[in-house]
Amino acid sequence: MPQRVLIVDDALFMRHLLRDIFSSAGWDVVGEAANGNEALQQYQELRPNLVTMDIVMPERSGIDALQDILALDSDAVVIMCSALGQESMVMEAIHNGAKDFIVKPFQQEQVLEIVSRIFG
Amino acid sequence: MDMLKYKAMFLTEAQEHLQKMGSLLVDVEADPNNRSGIDALFREAHSIKGMAASMGYLQTAELSHHLEDSLDLFRQQGEISAEAIDHMLAGVDLIELLLADIDAGREERNVQSFCTGVNPIDELAEIAAEGSQPVGEESHLQISLQLHDKVVSPAARLLVITRQLTKFGKILHSDPTEEQILRGGNSRQLVVLVQSRLAVNEIRSCLENYSEISHVDVEAPETKTAESSAGAGATVRVGTDLLDRFISLTGELITNRYMLQSAAGEKDWGLLRDGLGRLGRLVKDLHHQVLQVRMMPIDSVTGRLPRLVRDLARKSNKEIRFELEGGGIELDRAILEELGDPLIHLVRNAVDHGIEEQGTITLRAWRQRDQVMLQVADNGRGMDPAMLRQSAVQKGLISPAQAESMRDYDVLQLVCLPGFSTASELTETSGRGVGMDVVKAAVEKLGGVLHIDAAPGRGTRFTLKLPLSVAIIKVLRINVDAKQVALPITRVLQTIEVERGQIQTSGKQRVFSFNEELLPLVSLRKILNLPIPKAAERVAVVVTEVLGRKIGLVVDGFAGQSEVFVQGLPSPIDRLRGLSGGTILGDGRIVFILDIQGLLERKR
Repeated sequence: MPQRVLIVDDALFMRHLLRDIFSSAGWDVVGEAANGNEALQQYQELRPNLVTMDIVMPERSGIDALQDILALDSDAVVIMCSALGQESMVMEAIHNGAKDFIVKPFQQEQVLEIVSRIFG
Repeated sequence: MDMLKYKAMFLTEAQEHLQKMGSLLVDVEADPNNRSGIDALFREAHSIKGMAASMGYLQTAELSHHLEDSLDLFRQQGEISAEAIDHMLAGVDLIELLLADIDAGREERNVQSFCTGVNPIDELAEIAAEGSQPVGEESHLQISLQLHDKVVSPAARLLVITRQLTKFGKILHSDPTEEQILRGGNSRQLVVLVQSRLAVNEIRSCLENYSEISHVDVEAPETKTAESSAGAGATVRVGTDLLDRFISLTGELITNRYMLQSAAGEKDWGLLRDGLGRLGRLVKDLHHQVLQVRMMPIDSVTGRLPRLVRDLARKSNKEIRFELEGGGIELDRAILEELGDPLIHLVRNAVDHGIEEQGTITLRAWRQRDQVMLQVADNGRGMDPAMLRQSAVQKGLISPAQAESMRDYDVLQLVCLPGFSTASELTETSGRGVGMDVVKAAVEKLGGVLHIDAAPGRGTRFTLKLPLSVAIIKVLRINVDAKQVALPITRVLQTIEVERGQIQTSGKQRVFSFNEELLPLVSLRKILNLPIPKAAERVAVVVTEVLGRKIGLVVDGFAGQSEVFVQGLPSPIDRLRGLSGGTILGDGRIVFILDIQGLLERKR
């Protein structure tokens, strides 16, 4: 059974890019969210195996959404998506429970390597 | 009862007995009917058993008891077989691992299978070989890794990796720590101590797959402990007669103090002067005695060598005899500590490259005035200066013109250039990154000199000339532009005054004739970026050797010789190349001790 991923990013093309990366690797992209609030909602409904979470988003940031999701499900696996120069935010996220991070612009091998380290 | 204090003493003594056993086993192997050797072995094993039992180290006691029993049998028979020697040596190695366990505070590993003779050699190969510890046995492993320069957000990456390392086991210590990483920082390196059931290879190959990691090392630090606890420990053994001398000196100092007090009280300047003179002599004596405490016989670093040569010779199927002369000669422990690795490397080289099939390697130590000479010689094929010349030109280290004009002595020194390792030097036995350049640097750092002498068919001789002590050295004080600096006397070949007329120019270089050689003149002022005055009628020149070549160092003048106590320089000055220490003269002036080679290398 394929693994299920929820993609969270306020930019449409980013979500498309990640969708393509994950689909071509055999993952099932079960949902997309454009801000932190939607992310929590979708997580509750879909309970995916993995969430990719953009850090800077309107309405509710990625870090807050991360904490919301972990409060709901302490075993949630969340990978942060950061741009260059957001190192301290990434560190805060990891400190708060994110499992790993990928840096934009995304390379397919980089994303898949990180994912394979978590999921074996 | 403070067991900890006794533990350190136990470990030091046990190590000494082990080393002795190793040497004895090598001797007895060469002469299997050596009754007194077998007797001595029995006594050593018996001692270790007694000590271990009284400290409650049961596995160590059991193993030594096993060895002692076998040795008892052999001494009754009057001889010992080759397989038995191998078994004994394996036993000695296992005791060494047990001592490492004890030192690290771990439980002693079980020696049952060794004592019952169940595949003893295989079991030992398993325990001793890196990366193949029996799965399920927990051990401490040190993981060091380095991120690629191009990795973005290195701190965040290190943080994630630190967390992921917990899948290997319990993290005992990390450098930097998680808090340090969180506070920010540019480190791309991480060193972690983990308690794991996994093998070194498993962890290493997992981490090697991380594309962000450029370099990873996984080691079992106990091997390091075992190696470093042989030789200089944190404690020192001092003879009681030396201690008696301290006591009597202290007594004399007390008397001297009363004498000075009363002289000052009565304003008796003559008496005061006498008292101070006496004080000076007492302090000098005390200093000398204290330094004696630091003196250790060379045996303490050479003790492992017979065993090493035997094992290496075995591995490469050569028949090599190892002779040690002058092991009783004493050197300052700080020097001996630095010499351990270089000597091992020289001996390994002799086994690998010096001797072809059979031969003798000799390590000789002797005193020459205030220096100690250590020589590693082999009677093998001998390095060939002609081939070295060719090789060096091929590698681009020297030009063909230089190759032609260089003397054999200097050509031989070329093997100490960092770029010189030939393919054959990268054998397993010569590995570990201690090349000839490191040997030479270690010797010169101690204020010594490395001589190399070899010829085809006449063997090779590496001679280390070392000062007796690092703490006090004789220096030549030199004036340069209203300052005074110093050079260790061991680096000074001669001091001379050169007349203007004796100086010639060869191209851009000023040279002068010295002992039928033309030496380049190098200005110390120029090296130190000081203004250069007009040429004088005659110049003061210090003839010294840098990078294997003699040069004439032009200085303003000589200010005499002194015996000075060298002090290490504090950070960050100690990172300056070209300064090997400082000293404070009697009048309070600070004089820096120069490392001319370091200064010239900086200029490059």
